[in-house]
Amino acid sequence: MMLEGRNLAIAFGGVHAVAGVDLRVAQGELVGLIGPNGAGKTTLLRLLTGVLTPDSGSVQFEGRDVTRMPIHRRAQLGIVLTHQIVRPFRDMTLLDNVMVAAAANLTRRPWRAMVSLDAQPARERARALLARVGIADGADRIARSSPLGYLKRMQVARALALDPRLLLLDEPLAGLNYAEAARFADLIAELNADGVTIVLIEHNLGEVTRTVRRLVVLHNGAVLAEGVPRDVMERLDVRDAYLGVGAAHA
Amino acid sequence: MYYAELLLVGLVWGCTYALMALGLTLVYGLLRILHVAQATVFTLGAYVGLLVANYSGSLALAFAAAALAAGALGPLIYRLIYQPILEKPPSVALVASIGVLIAMEDGFRLIFGPYGLSFTHNSWFTTPVSFAGLTLNLVQVWIVLAAVLLLTAFAVFASRTRAGVAWRATVSDPAIAESFGVGVIGVRYLNFLIASILAGVAGVLVGLLNNLVEPGMGGLISYKGLAIIVLGGLGNVPGTLVASLLLGVLESFGTVLLDKVMDRDAISFLFLTLILMVRPQGLLGKAR
Amino acid sequence: MDYYLSVATFAALNVILALGLNLISGFCGQVSLGHAAFYGLGAYAAALCSVAGLPFPIALLAGVLAAGAFGILAGFAALRVREDFLAIVTMGVGFLFIGIVRKQQWLGAEMGIAKIPSPLDKWGYAALAIGAAVGMLLLSLHVRRSWMGRAFDAVAQDEDAARSIGIDVAGYKIAAFFIGTAAAGLAGGIYAHMAQLVVPDAFNFIQSITVLAMVVIGGVGSTLGVVTGAVLLTLMPEMFRFINDYKLLAYGVLLLAVMRFSPDGLAGLLSRLLRRGSA
Repeated sequence: MMLEGRNLAIAFGGVHAVAGVDLRVAQGELVGLIGPNGAGKTTLLRLLTGVLTPDSGSVQFEGRDVTRMPIHRRAQLGIVLTHQIVRPFRDMTLLDNVMVAAAANLTRRPWRAMVSLDAQPARERARALLARVGIADGADRIARSSPLGYLKRMQVARALALDPRLLLLDEPLAGLNYAEAARFADLIAELNADGVTIVLIEHNLGEVTRTVRRLVVLHNGAVLAEGVPRDVMERLDVRDAYLGVGAAHA
Repeated sequence: MYYAELLLVGLVWGCTYALMALGLTLVYGLLRILHVAQATVFTLGAYVGLLVANYSGSLALAFAAAALAAGALGPLIYRLIYQPILEKPPSVALVASIGVLIAMEDGFRLIFGPYGLSFTHNSWFTTPVSFAGLTLNLVQVWIVLAAVLLLTAFAVFASRTRAGVAWRATVSDPAIAESFGVGVIGVRYLNFLIASILAGVAGVLVGLLNNLVEPGMGGLISYKGLAIIVLGGLGNVPGTLVASLLLGVLESFGTVLLDKVMDRDAISFLFLTLILMVRPQGLLGKAR
Repeated sequence: MDYYLSVATFAALNVILALGLNLISGFCGQVSLGHAAFYGLGAYAAALCSVAGLPFPIALLAGVLAAGAFGILAGFAALRVREDFLAIVTMGVGFLFIGIVRKQQWLGAEMGIAKIPSPLDKWGYAALAIGAAVGMLLLSLHVRRSWMGRAFDAVAQDEDAARSIGIDVAGYKIAAFFIGTAAAGLAGGIYAHMAQLVVPDAFNFIQSITVLAMVVIGGVGSTLGVVTGAVLLTLMPEMFRFINDYKLLAYGVLLLAVMRFSPDGLAGLLSRLLRRGSA
């Protein structure tokens, strides 16, 4: 078992955003996390990556307790998150964006970074990764003037540059049109086939049910259902959760 | 008794800070700009007030003139300096504001001389007011009165008048306010007008308090004003008032207790730094 | 000749100060409006050592370490607050420094420390200052090209994104402050021995703003731009004597003009002109 969130709970001013969630992800899985707005999906992801610390419960990663570990340490261990709203380094090129991540072993400690000048290996690796996610032609585009599709793929390339053991994607398809979303979902499936363990949050039910192998449904901060996509989506309580709250996107 | 006097003096200082800081928090709340150049308007008010007072012998006229001058300069600074750079990162506006401050300070020095000017008839300064065994001079009393009056007037304005409500709407969400027909540009000018008048009046009062108007008088009170609005929670008007009074009192006691260790300004900034280290969002601010 | 040596030395000291601030604010993106405090810390620490009879190199080292140590503290402050708040806190640090030093009798209070032994002559100081400035210049250029520079850039542009790719943002901020302030401390130590007198007012907010002006006008983040800014702002009041009287007015107007028309300073202006020229 690669990742285990045990009885995770966190509350904000009286609202139990996540209330006792158990989540297990085995190596090599491709898991989708869905649920209506406000179900706690993003909060759960943030608990797993360290953006938030739980009020109770624990997060275990490959046997280690990472519950209180800071974000950059978790990234160094291999837990990498891509954000719902892309956060590129706006004034850098797409290539530079990935390069900084590709040299993670060099940038880890400031004093080591100070004496390291060689950018060639990182640059080559970054180029390869941009090609892997299909945007090799965008290498020299400045991030602030790149279209969303490119930025999303760059974000994935940047995450891959860290050699992630576990990739957490927060709404990777948000903002993409129909065709782009389908292609991006395919890319995610390919990466998983290559061996990257992935957990993703999505509102785009069509694509997520097509792509993932296991679906976990969150509602009101707790796990409502989990299993194979088709079985889960046919459950009445899952349909109620979505339609009842009126937040079904698809 | 001694402590009561320290408290009173501190509250008086606090009131001058409040007049200055309110303007700063108004500007920050609306535009996210640290309007250090508020010092300029403050000092201009002081000089204009002094000149009019010495020339005409009337303090009322002096205050009116100061308010007029300050009220003209403030929005002008907005139009010429800030408006063109609103889209740039916040540090640009701050550096520009600092530029205005030091340029103007030097300008005042060149025009009025470096040693400062005095009031020829400062009757308020020499008029004692006693109560409960404590003695203040009339300037100090007026400072408190002015602060109370002006701030109450502002509160009434903000909650009871159409312009005030429009202003509050713009502060909390400019886009929505605009879609409701609020003239956002007009609100900005109004904002600077109010902030500047308060500062100009404060300038005359502080000039009377020290019986001296000099080129650099606005600088420190402006910097401390920034510290105050951070403490009080940026854009948070009640918080700013509390922080102003608190700082005034702290300085008053601090200068006596820590006299051998640090000076008045250091005390303010030490307090500010410690608070921010413990609560990075300020005393009454919300976590960012 | 003596006069030119003095000017050259001051220019070199200003270059060191400006490059240090550029590393903190330009490379790593951390606002710092109290840089003069570290200049002062270095000057006072070095002065105390020399007056106590310690050798010159030790005094200089003391200046570097004193400034750097407090610089690390300032770096910790930068971990708690950002941007505007950090601007105010660093400004406060400057006032704190002066406010405390002015009251300390053992530091000479308002009168400062006088009769600091001067082991070098005018040529010596010029050589030392210029040598240190060149060293700082090379260091800046090196850091810029190294992975530290790239990581600084990431931290400056988006702290949270930097964290999510494994960069120890806290470590970098503190490193930036340490290097920048230690440099200021070195400049302070040299200054103390050259002037043979240190007073609190020499390190006030106006001095911090002067260094800021050099960085901003030269071009935040551009090493060569900042050097130009420092040299220009040191030479101009000297070359045009009448400017000296209007120095602050000129700085203020320049800062305004730069912010309004070319926020990335002379360096930015130049690169834009070159690009347009070749287009």
